[in-house]
Amino acid sequence: MKNDVIVVGGGHAGCEAALACARMGVETLLATIRRGDIARMPCNPAIGGLAKGQLVREIDALGGEMGLCIDHAGIQFRMLNRSKGPAVWSPRAQADKVAYHERMMSAIEAEENIELLETEIIGLVMTGGVVTAVMTADRGELQAKKVILALGTFPNGLMHIGEKQIPGGREGEPPSRGLSDWLSGAGLERERLKTGTPPRLVKVSIDFSRCEVQPGDEEPSPFSFRTGRLVVEQVPCHITWTGEKTHAIINANIYRAPLFSGQIRGAGPRYCPSIEDKVVRFSEKPRHQIFLEPEGRDSEEIYVNGLSTSLPAEVQLEMVRSVPGLEGAEIARYGYAIEYDFFPPHQIHSTLESRKIAGLYFAGQVNGTSGYEEAAAQGLVAGINAALALHGRGTFVPGRSEAYIGVLIDDLVTKEIREPYRMFTSRAEYRLSLRQDNADERLLRYAVRFGLLPRGQWERMTEARKSVQRARRRLEAESVTAGDAGTMRAARLLQRPGVSLDDVESLLAEGPLALGKRERESLEIEQKYRGYIRRQGRSAEKLKRMERRRIPEDFPYGEIKALSSEAREKLEKYRPETLGKAARLAGVRIADVSILMVFLEKAGAWRDGDDG
Amino acid sequence: MQGDTIVALSTPPGSSGIAVIRISGPDASGILESMTPGAMAWKQRTLYNRVLRDGDGEMLDDVVAAVFHGPNSYTGEDAVEISCHGSMQVVSAIIEESIRAGARLAEPGEFTRRAYLSGKMDLAQAEAVADLIASETRLQTRVALEHLEGGLSKKVNAIEERLRSKLALVEASIDFPEEDIETYTVADLAAVSDETRREISELLESEVAGGKLRRGIRITITGPRNAGKSSLYNALLGEERAIVSPIPGTTRDVLRERIHIGGFTYHLEDTAGLAETVCEIESEGMRKGREAACAADLVLFVVDAGEGWTGGALEELEAHAGRNRIVVVNKTDLVPGGGETADCSPAGEVRTVDVSAVTGEGLGRLREKIFEFTANGEVSSVSRERIALNIRQGMALRRAEEALERLGRELGMNSPAEILSLEIREALDACGEVTGRSAAEDILGEIFSNFCIGK
Repeated sequence: MKNDVIVVGGGHAGCEAALACARMGVETLLATIRRGDIARMPCNPAIGGLAKGQLVREIDALGGEMGLCIDHAGIQFRMLNRSKGPAVWSPRAQADKVAYHERMMSAIEAEENIELLETEIIGLVMTGGVVTAVMTADRGELQAKKVILALGTFPNGLMHIGEKQIPGGREGEPPSRGLSDWLSGAGLERERLKTGTPPRLVKVSIDFSRCEVQPGDEEPSPFSFRTGRLVVEQVPCHITWTGEKTHAIINANIYRAPLFSGQIRGAGPRYCPSIEDKVVRFSEKPRHQIFLEPEGRDSEEIYVNGLSTSLPAEVQLEMVRSVPGLEGAEIARYGYAIEYDFFPPHQIHSTLESRKIAGLYFAGQVNGTSGYEEAAAQGLVAGINAALALHGRGTFVPGRSEAYIGVLIDDLVTKEIREPYRMFTSRAEYRLSLRQDNADERLLRYAVRFGLLPRGQWERMTEARKSVQRARRRLEAESVTAGDAGTMRAARLLQRPGVSLDDVESLLAEGPLALGKRERESLEIEQKYRGYIRRQGRSAEKLKRMERRRIPEDFPYGEIKALSSEAREKLEKYRPETLGKAARLAGVRIADVSILMVFLEKAGAWRDGDDG
Repeated sequence: MQGDTIVALSTPPGSSGIAVIRISGPDASGILESMTPGAMAWKQRTLYNRVLRDGDGEMLDDVVAAVFHGPNSYTGEDAVEISCHGSMQVVSAIIEESIRAGARLAEPGEFTRRAYLSGKMDLAQAEAVADLIASETRLQTRVALEHLEGGLSKKVNAIEERLRSKLALVEASIDFPEEDIETYTVADLAAVSDETRREISELLESEVAGGKLRRGIRITITGPRNAGKSSLYNALLGEERAIVSPIPGTTRDVLRERIHIGGFTYHLEDTAGLAETVCEIESEGMRKGREAACAADLVLFVVDAGEGWTGGALEELEAHAGRNRIVVVNKTDLVPGGGETADCSPAGEVRTVDVSAVTGEGLGRLREKIFEFTANGEVSSVSRERIALNIRQGMALRRAEEALERLGRELGMNSPAEILSLEIREALDACGEVTGRSAAEDILGEIFSNFCIGK
């Protein structure tokens, strides 16, 4: 059997990777240990959230599947941060985990170019530094021109519940051992990270009347630009709090927590600490918030968000029952911490291809990230790049000023990963431009160019853009008189705080603007941020210029004595692809960048890269 | 290909005489024209006598200027050369005005780098250009460090710290809207913004405009106890400023006076003699003296012709290895035939001058050496770098001030968090230019260590 691409792993990264390849006309084999685990959500039952919601919108604009799946499987939709400006609005939805899996499964099954195979991959086959096949546990070698690794937390996964240590990639599933060791044997650096998940409770054992109710938005907003109106009966979440009693139980048993006993060595995420970590580090806090989230519309299980723990089973039960509303709660599944191998991403290119092994791509937690959305984004980028490479059609690397996906990938290849990497809006220096409302304007053209979305999609968007621009020109041309504010251009008036497009429109002499709901919103947002975005424009331009300055992979940093030794060391380790990436490495100063420019000129190395 | 326009002082600055400011890049002539409103068109490679004015029409200086069109200039780009009066105030004012008109301060070695990149130089010179950038950067770092020992960095650090903690609150409210954490209030941010802006204005008044920042070239006299350092100090000043006595260890504090040699201004410093001592006051004096010598542009190491390199003098001299120094062999009047020091001079010590501070013999030669050193040595780059630093810091602080002004306005209009963050980041970024740190970078770290996040 001969495939173009083999994707290893059927999680969020693997699914997007396989779909992107298949849709770009590539024969794709998706290898997973169990079919039933395609696009499972082993942690929280939600998609989106701050910065993650933006990622999903970008994935969608690039023709990915995640947005459509969550629109189908969502049981509660909220637009977070409504009280702040639209640049930081982020959609989030509670998901029905089974429905999400089923929706993704049917997308994969509908794709003619994808063959789904249940098998474990235990190694690779390399010929002259290029990957040529994968080694399965049960059916020998499978040939491939490109291989995408989306292994999640499976590589040498080790779960902890109190003193108990269980090898496994996820609850009830064995770890993947061979592949990680094979990669390590092939000379790739690997390190350990840790993450964790809270217990699941039996729904009927919870007294919700003692909790605060958190409903969805009255008018739910879909994730996908391809979804029309969402019609969904929404399910609420509930909020309760830990208290002194809970904290006393934790403190009394802290010596049994693997996190504090030295049993866990991998670094965990600071933004998602376990409850024992929160109680120890913030002992002055009298209570911690807990969100009770359904695992599905008809699921019998409730996810206890905020109570991630690896304490022993009996302590978990005692702790849970000390929380108001959970006095009679039964635990359906215990929380656990999991340690796993990852391959520090200074070893990959921005295309997510390994620097050491050609044709091998890494996506998701194997790169040290965390989160379904971050994984899906990388899967998509790896899939696109693998397919582009097969067709000899260049590369796809979105920039930092273009997409959160660009920020994500740039961070991966320039920063040291010390904890599972999660996206935040504060990581994006051009946050005001990278909004959930304009992801299609930023990225749709790539999806159309790559054949991931039909041309018609692009035409509809440009039509809408044109009508927004026409309306803006009207606002710039027409003067309005607004009470005590005096007479001014309508566009100026709209920039004032507290003035809405509705207010301005009612003052227009030539009658209302002919615009749909989305276009109205888009015009208003653009006008509100216009001045600020223009101010950032110059630095964004400079950033782009630096990104176009490419550095050859084999550039001899060691020979340049004028570089500071710290800079030389970092440059040799990361081998940045562009001058911009070089400048973002910690320890590389402006002077080092100047010196690099001089030597790149000497080497005649200036090559203008394509913009992505 | 460079895109932007740079400006810098390119000659060694003195208190009198002429200084040359260079501007290079696409806007070079536009910037010159903006400072010479109403002047006739500039013919290239022609010298014009013009009055430069700032944006308000105030006169900056009466100068001679010329315009060069690329590629016929040093950098190969469009360029302007302005010869102005050499005073620090004039030079700073012209450079600042150029920056307001759209230039930016050149980075170390940037003029040379541009010349190289636009093909004005030989490929084989890359190494030399790189070395120049590296050495000018070291110089910049040294000058900045020396500068930061003063109160300025402490004050800016405190401002940074305060802004950082507020930015963390604002960012946390954006990225963690559902967490049960403290959030910012408009009133608190407004108070902090006002207070910080006031502090920055005060800093600008006192530190930069008031010229408290050291300007000119620093020369520190050091050496073993009783070598006649204070006598030399008085002799160079031409007056009895320091108390002189035959008792070793008379000088205990650092004395500082201005002298002029050949049109340059120098700050001459006399320090306590170096010796083994148990006296606390004396060792404190020595500590201060060593500090002064470390920060100096030029060290005059004085030894007694009669004593020579005995008693640890050589070790003390070696402590100044790599620094600009002149060995002054003093008291030649007491040792017939010049004494024994000449033979015992440490190997490789090229700058040795025999003097007698008492008779005045050799002082002329010492002045010459100092002048020579200034005119073609590293000292000129040091003072040039100091001017650049003053301008950089002044402009950075003003940028921070402006960002805080805008922050105040945004707060007044009840603007959303992401806009407030933009202005606080800008202010922090500007402060970072003063302290040399990128303060806004690890704001997530600040959030995680201060707030319990973890839904």
